[in-house]
Amino acid sequence: MPFGMMKGTWWKIDLAQHEVVLLLVIVVEILLFQILGRNFLTGGNVSNVFRHSVEIGLLALAMTPVVLSGGIDLSVGSMVGLCAVVFGILVKSLGFDPWVAAALAIGCGAAGGWLNGVLVAGFKLPPLIVTLGTFSLFRGLAEALTKGSESYSGFSESFLALGNSEIAGIPIQALVFLPIAFLIWFLVHRTTYGRSLRVIGFAEEGAVYAGLPVKRNVGAAYMMAGAVAGLAAVILVARLGEARANAGTGYELLAITAVVLGGVSIFGGTGNVAGTLLGWIALAILNNGLTRISDYEIFGEKVSSVARELSGLLTGLLLLTALAMGIFTKMLAVRRARKQALPNPTSS
Amino acid sequence: MTRTRFLLAATVLATLPFLSCSKSEDEGKLSVGFLLKSKGNQYFVTCEKGARAAAEELDIDLRVDGPISADPAKQNEIVENWITDGLDVIVAACENKDSISTALRKAQEAGIKVVTYDADAQSDVRSFFANQATAKGIGEKLIDTTAELIGGEGEYAIITGTLTSANLNEWIAHLKERQAAEYPAMKLLDVRPCDDNKDKAQQEATNLLSAHPNLKAIISVCSPGVPGAAEAVKQAGKSGDVKVVGLGLPSENRAYVKEGVTQAVILWSPEDLGYLAVQAGVALKKGELEKGAESFTVGKLGELKIEGDSIILATPMTFTKENIDDFDF
Repeated sequence: MPFGMMKGTWWKIDLAQHEVVLLLVIVVEILLFQILGRNFLTGGNVSNVFRHSVEIGLLALAMTPVVLSGGIDLSVGSMVGLCAVVFGILVKSLGFDPWVAAALAIGCGAAGGWLNGVLVAGFKLPPLIVTLGTFSLFRGLAEALTKGSESYSGFSESFLALGNSEIAGIPIQALVFLPIAFLIWFLVHRTTYGRSLRVIGFAEEGAVYAGLPVKRNVGAAYMMAGAVAGLAAVILVARLGEARANAGTGYELLAITAVVLGGVSIFGGTGNVAGTLLGWIALAILNNGLTRISDYEIFGEKVSSVARELSGLLTGLLLLTALAMGIFTKMLAVRRARKQALPNPTSS
Repeated sequence: MTRTRFLLAATVLATLPFLSCSKSEDEGKLSVGFLLKSKGNQYFVTCEKGARAAAEELDIDLRVDGPISADPAKQNEIVENWITDGLDVIVAACENKDSISTALRKAQEAGIKVVTYDADAQSDVRSFFANQATAKGIGEKLIDTTAELIGGEGEYAIITGTLTSANLNEWIAHLKERQAAEYPAMKLLDVRPCDDNKDKAQQEATNLLSAHPNLKAIISVCSPGVPGAAEAVKQAGKSGDVKVVGLGLPSENRAYVKEGVTQAVILWSPEDLGYLAVQAGVALKKGELEKGAESFTVGKLGELKIEGDSIILATPMTFTKENIDDFDF
């Protein structure tokens, strides 16, 4: 089981169930949209589902280690805007090669993430406040750089292919996304670094006394989130063909939604990358599927694109239901454990 | 765990029969996607009304969609979904010229006919642009309406957005030209910028009113300037004595128009614009409208002129006390 972590503890089953619940949600979504929507399960649309949500997926992946360590990063959406603008300026105003500029934009993201890391880990400031500050700071910087109105477009075909082309029906973005997903999964689940983040999320004080390099490890998680946000910005610009200061507005909340929906505890310590991916997929399908049932006929009455408006409502319901089920299954498990007179779960 | 796994496998298997079936489209009908800048904007809701009327006339399958609030990235996604669906025609109002062009270019490459309306994309990614009004049409309509209100003589002033705004300056130039030729007894006193801000417009209008006691009319070429000037005239107690005319949305000006402070609000009909755009898209697909055409004759609108690749939607319309309640955008 890639999902479980420590064998024989009650919450292992709970976590596994959470993923099962999510898988069921995804299956139900697919069923529903296939029946109600137009052209939902077609090669082209499956590719659209992925392409239109890959930036959120990247941010959610990078958010996972941060949340596992007990933190949060509200600044990633703004970082996408800033990196997009930096990329645009480098290519269009300063004549950089787009691929060099892409690397620099990712570097810019890493630098911003480093700033978050220093403030959170180094100065021990609350991550919510720090990243709320940089949330405004990064977006503000992007707006200042463009005077709020300027935008950059007219990038080369070879660069735009990153966001718009397919190889054998597989979007090019997938070639970037999959290695990143694997890398983050590996970091979180197969290295001592990943384990240390979880320990820090559970009990930071304890981690300090255990001699873990808490500052460095937490800082690195934020820096990684920033760098991935830079990458997401580059992919977004390649998809839209345009870089502007409001790119990625609101993405941070969607990424956090995917992470929490995926069963990662917002208090840190528990959760896994597979859950985040499932949470992201559930959201991505929901968003695309709802657009598939626009202009649908209900009882013979033509309803003008009612579906998209439900996206926010359903996302909220999905999240709250998933949370409620998490608590419910946890309660069940505790009750079952008591019934069977097993030792108290605190032993983990 | 085995039980949950079994359940999961069973559910997946149960879904398989559904995977192959796909929603059938309205057979034989042309399918047209009508893209709004945003769904929350009454202006576009009114455009949609016209588009639906055209769809009814032409017996086509019309799909209307747009971001809930103006969002260029969402517009791209909608267009890409439509490409996947294999629509015949896409009719789009573009929130952002450059980003939408990426998606519309793909649509054209996929053989979809593209027409833009209200706000254009890059000119190589669409065949025609349904243009709501020319600069000349707007400028002349403004001065003609004002001249009629004040009897063709007297002093007037203009409130504009900013002095550097290209399209506003073009309208003002046409306005002045027409006035010099047709209404020589009228005199332009000043052109004041309001920075697209209602309060600033009110302040500028107040200054104009106190500086020029013989002022007969204020024309605002930017939409915040119309209610701004109206508020100034109202507070100066000159309602009706100094006429207020301008370019704006009926909804922003309804109260002033009904009170008799603002005499005329000028705008093109969004409904006609939506109607025209869908008609043009379908005509293009059917081969009835081709590049290089000089005019386009369309149902209730009659013969419209084509300049380059812009189809011009006749002259703007005027909202007054009598008809303003019929429009809710």
